[in-house]
Amino acid sequence: MRGRGVTRLDAIDEIYRLLADAGQETINTSMRLPLVLREAASIAVDELGAAPSTTALASAALRAALEAIVIQAALDAHYEAHPGSRPSLAELAVNAAELDGNPLAQNPGLLRQAAEQVMATHPEADADDVLLWAEALASVA
Amino acid sequence: MKLLVVLDNEAVQALGDAAHPKHRRMIGLVQVVAHRKRRALDVALVVPTAVRVEAGWDRAGAVWASVNRLGVMDEVLGPGQANFAAQIRSATGVSVAGAHLGAVVQASKADRVTVLTSDPGDAASVAGGRPVNVIRI
Repeated sequence: MRGRGVTRLDAIDEIYRLLADAGQETINTSMRLPLVLREAASIAVDELGAAPSTTALASAALRAALEAIVIQAALDAHYEAHPGSRPSLAELAVNAAELDGNPLAQNPGLLRQAAEQVMATHPEADADDVLLWAEALASVA
Repeated sequence: MKLLVVLDNEAVQALGDAAHPKHRRMIGLVQVVAHRKRRALDVALVVPTAVRVEAGWDRAGAVWASVNRLGVMDEVLGPGQANFAAQIRSATGVSVAGAHLGAVVQASKADRVTVLTSDPGDAASVAGGRPVNVIRI
């Protein structure tokens, strides 16, 4: 589908289709890796047991990165189509606390305060940044 | 640390319908998972296929296209899990979908399992002795 002027949603669907294909066919790619990165991966595999092979390590990392990219791309497309569905940073911090089983999930006021403070100096912050700051605020309260 | 997040019927319904009162909340939970994936944390969003049946989530259907893109993977009800689910259903009297959800939770090798559900009592009952973080959506 490459080079056909596909939409972002088409691209997301195609990436999912490819990731879901459990085929084990491999290819010697023309991607060029920095030599030191390859050597570091080799040591991680041989000495730290990070993965069965450097190929497996690289494949797993690439798959995880692609999954993160397509989910965020899908969410961004959803926010564009449904602006009202975009959660605030404070709401995301509550969600993050809930997913962690963190008792701060029951304190949305503190999380809202933490979100405002973090956003003032770190507009690119995410929910985990806010949660960490909220924990710091709670520890000195 | 591997984290597994399991969706129940209403979680799926809320995710799939932008007009659902809990849609924004579900999107928020998925957004946090996306952030964590971007940080290379090992977190997976799954739906037991029996839950998908109960929710009417047809991955081939156009109305579900946007949900298909949110990285929620199927947990298939294979022979082993079917036996496990049957035992859970007999013991607890929950729905087939609830029993499959329980089988997924109990069989998971994840370090931590979270269930997104409208019925925390059911989710806890099907988890058996498995520690589970239940989030009411």
